Amino acid sequence: MGYVNDTAMSLYVPPTLFHCVTGTWTMAAGQVAGTIVKKVNDANQTSTINIPIPVPSNSVALKGSLLKSIEIDFEIVTAAMEEVTAVVNKVTRGIDTAVAVVAPQTFTYDVGNNSAAKRYAVGKHRMTLTITTPFWVDNDEYVLVELTVNQAGDTGVIELLGAVANYTKRL
Amino acid sequence: MGYVNDTAMSLYVPPTLFHCVTGTWTQAAGAVTDTICMHKAAGAETAVVNIPIMLPSNSVALKGSYLKSIEIDYELKAAGATSVTAVLNKVTRGVDGAVAVVSTPAITQDLAAGSAAATQAKHKLTVTLTTPEWIDNDVYFLLELSLICAGTVTVDILGAVANSTLRI
Repeated sequence: MGYVNDTAMSLYVPPTLFHCVTGTWTMAAGQVAGTIVKKVNDANQTSTINIPIPVPSNSVALKGSLLKSIEIDFEIVTAAMEEVTAVVNKVTRGIDTAVAVVAPQTFTYDVGNNSAAKRYAVGKHRMTLTITTPFWVDNDEYVLVELTVNQAGDTGVIELLGAVANYTKRL
Repeated sequence: MGYVNDTAMSLYVPPTLFHCVTGTWTQAAGAVTDTICMHKAAGAETAVVNIPIMLPSNSVALKGSYLKSIEIDYELKAAGATSVTAVLNKVTRGVDGAVAVVSTPAITQDLAAGSAAATQAKHKLTVTLTTPEWIDNDVYFLLELSLICAGTVTVDILGAVANSTLRI
């Protein structure tokens, strides 16, 4: 039996997997021809976007996927937002009849997005969330990256191109 | 340390992942009971469907997924389309502040765009990369399908399958 421990794995998460609540979200072509986005309408609103991270999990400790960081590609066009904030939620599923338990994970933003003003500025963003203590994803767990985007009456909108999860695969 | 090099990997891409623009698209039951599809209502228009290829990538050269071909299952109903044309877009992500760069690797489609791929029938369209590619962690692929439809044709897209080698 072989053994794999690849520390350089990544998984692209397309915007069609994103769960967008509040606002009118549509599929559209991206600013660059040949790219795709999910974009919200221009309105005074605060949207919540959850990005599922579908890396393989494993019921055996220290196997499956060691989630290390998540990168989110988005573009803010026309005018700045008032807030773009991320949370990395680890959801532990409940047994039958029991609720799930959510535990936010500690992370740091990359230097280009490590202040509120940097994150909500007009422009193209590749925002990296580095998990302070990477964790193996158990089969009873999954991960959602939650973005809060406050447009607050500005004329700007956000366009979401996708995300990439970086992990070690061990099996 | 072990080593995996499996040349026969495939990944099903469900229609719920598809990015459909232009036309009225809805999730619907397929023509065969217990199948699912994205359904386009009749309308004279050019619909564009982007199919994200969610294969694992790798930052190390010659590792991860080696994309070889993509198969798309769809059905044209009521009438044939004018054409069904595939383009494979390779998107190289920009660093923070920079745009993505899109290139179009050479492909062949086994059903001709303006004839065999466009008839009123069930289709399994295979798109083969002329030069298969290892997917870098800064790259993703979108299979873009353009369907030029006259007013009566409806479209059901059932899903896609990406064929690759996995090396880890």
